[in-house]
Amino acid sequence: MRSTIRGVGYSFDTVKEVLAKANPPKSGDDLAGVSASSAVERTAARAVLADMTLRHLRNNPVVPYEQDELTRLVEDTLDEQAFKAVGHLTVGQFREWLLESSTTGAMIRSISLGLTPEIVAATAKLMSNMDLLVAGAKCRVIVRANNTFGLPGRLSSRVQPNHPTDDVQGIMHSAREGLAYGCGDAVLGVNPSTDTPESTAEILRELHDLRVRNGIPTQHCVLSHVIVQMKALSELKCPMDLMFQSFAGSEKANAAFGINVSLMDEAYAMMRELGSASGPNCMYFETGQGSALSSDAHHGADQVTMEARCYGFARRYKPFLVNTVVGFIGPEYLEDGPQITRAALEDHFMGKLMGLPMGCDACFTYHSSMSQDELESLKVLLGAAGCSYLMSMPVGDDIMLNYQSTSYHDIPSVRMLLGKRPTPEFDAWLSSVGIMDGAVPGPRFGDVTVLR
Amino acid sequence: MSLSNTRTLMAELRQRMGEDDPMPSRREPQRIPDPPVRVYPKPRRPSRFAKEAAAHTTALVGIGRVGTRYATSVVLQFQAELAVAHSAVATVLPDEWAAENGLLSLNSRVEDHRQFLLRPDLGRRLDEDSLSRLREQATKGVDIQPILADGLSAVACMGSGVALLEHLTAECEQRGWTVGTPMCARFARVWLEDEIGQEVGAKVAVILLGERPGLGTGDGLSAYMVYKPEVGKTDSDRNMISNIHQRGIPPPEAAHRLALMAGAMLEQVTSGVTLDLGPLTTELGDAAGTGLREPQVREPLVFVGEEGEGR
Repeated sequence: MRSTIRGVGYSFDTVKEVLAKANPPKSGDDLAGVSASSAVERTAARAVLADMTLRHLRNNPVVPYEQDELTRLVEDTLDEQAFKAVGHLTVGQFREWLLESSTTGAMIRSISLGLTPEIVAATAKLMSNMDLLVAGAKCRVIVRANNTFGLPGRLSSRVQPNHPTDDVQGIMHSAREGLAYGCGDAVLGVNPSTDTPESTAEILRELHDLRVRNGIPTQHCVLSHVIVQMKALSELKCPMDLMFQSFAGSEKANAAFGINVSLMDEAYAMMRELGSASGPNCMYFETGQGSALSSDAHHGADQVTMEARCYGFARRYKPFLVNTVVGFIGPEYLEDGPQITRAALEDHFMGKLMGLPMGCDACFTYHSSMSQDELESLKVLLGAAGCSYLMSMPVGDDIMLNYQSTSYHDIPSVRMLLGKRPTPEFDAWLSSVGIMDGAVPGPRFGDVTVLR
Repeated sequence: MSLSNTRTLMAELRQRMGEDDPMPSRREPQRIPDPPVRVYPKPRRPSRFAKEAAAHTTALVGIGRVGTRYATSVVLQFQAELAVAHSAVATVLPDEWAAENGLLSLNSRVEDHRQFLLRPDLGRRLDEDSLSRLREQATKGVDIQPILADGLSAVACMGSGVALLEHLTAECEQRGWTVGTPMCARFARVWLEDEIGQEVGAKVAVILLGERPGLGTGDGLSAYMVYKPEVGKTDSDRNMISNIHQRGIPPPEAAHRLALMAGAMLEQVTSGVTLDLGPLTTELGDAAGTGLREPQVREPLVFVGEEGEGR
């Protein structure tokens, strides 16, 4: 595979190499040794990619069929009719079709289940940030648990009231504060310090009481390991609206997380039977660029492609929520503001294109080179891209995980800037208790005493 | 259409929209009343909620709002906490610091601060000069080899680092163990202790290094200990104590706990997940395996017009 720029020829041996070198600069691709050596070589790779058909990408997954159950899962369950509608297009043509004004969200949805992760990742690589915003905003993914999530004109949020020692009262104080600012319609979701069934069940029961006592139309979740949650659900019989798990993009990387397809199938079946939410969608997954490389399970592929492969896995379980934790993993994977911003927009676009209800934890660790101002700007960009939800916590400071994310104050700010509202059920609840008055803050906005 | 035609059209359009100034006429300015006092952390009259919450969490709740945003004092406190964290990360351990403090000076293969952040692999091995210095100058065949290091906060290393090293050495010598040459490694990651420990033939190696700063906390040290150190050990071979600083676990207490941990390793000839710290639970606290650490105490950082020590 060859292309020429200003008379200089560039050649690439494999589809995997083209995909990696076409990627915009990421420190994680440098660390993996797979990135382009110059901006010109990067463009040359993109030229080759633009001319490649979607069928060729499907036939050349970055991890071979024989070696990886995620590749097999995608290949064996792909919607052939949907694939047939687009398989003949080149990536360049597919990008243009997505951006065409006449191409609607409904049209994109009709072919979504025929796309493989490699196709979606390749398309993202040919897009600028503005392309990713425009195409991402077209894709609608609507799901239901205790409320209806992902509708047009809506921006939801997770309340993330983590506590370094799982002090349940501390968690509840933070959760109440978040609700008083109109946050929490995606989920009340706690990362526990102690990964045990007992503590998972204890926190879930408290969240459940808070939700029922106040009649809040939302979901709860404790983000312990899936095996721990299965024990809490089946043995301790606790309420559980959503079940959580972190995903990575290869069988080997998922083994490092202690999961595989058959375990997740079992977890999903259990949740369908025992989960406490009323709608059909009951799973919650998190991903993030770099997770495969961090367990040396990237198979020589770039981190955007590995990220897309997580979505190929996630869509099997018709999740209620998926989000990419975009700046959590550290500067060795995403060095600075531009890289974190780019990754957030890529992941949102790729997830939505594959049919997932995609949110984003816009965040940085304190050793990355992203400023607070850049992070605040990113939240507005994500809102404009139609991102389904953001995280929220006091002043954006996670006192357990020690990183900086979205704050309780940021959610109503972004909503008002962009004319967005929370899910309709939650929106009605906010107005009924006086936290909001329709689209504007109500008399009890920010007042925790409104919550019993 | 000619240029003059366009000009005429534009002029007519402007006229229809209102003569020269497109904005409505300005209101008479009114004196803006003083807003209510909002100060972090509200020492005057904290709400009942903020008081209750403070007993359970250091999360900044009950801080009020201005519209949908923060009060100015909250913004300043936040920026100060962020600045403390960022400057701790950005501080580079000076070349001569180790020697000035009587420590054998070592460097990883990392050449500058940016590379340190981007290439964890290079921070896990010694550069050639350091390796030969270590071979020439360090005592071999010791029971325990402590290594002070910068990690992600040189500020923490230069802060309580030397005190922790001295207390730990004293605790070990009291128990009759031989302690390796005092040393300090720059641009170091945790796994650097494997190569150093292997070179000096230590039974136990422990690296004391600055931890990744959180908001307002750039001075915490962590200690990672491994039995029979050698290149190729992984995280599951290590035991650790974090949050070592004056407001967390003070250095003398941390040194005591580390010595207990080293004792368990020497006795059980293992470390990491296979090390049984059960009998030491009360004395070790979080290091015994719960992984929990108490929340950082939040302090107001910004005072305007008050006398400070100067920098």
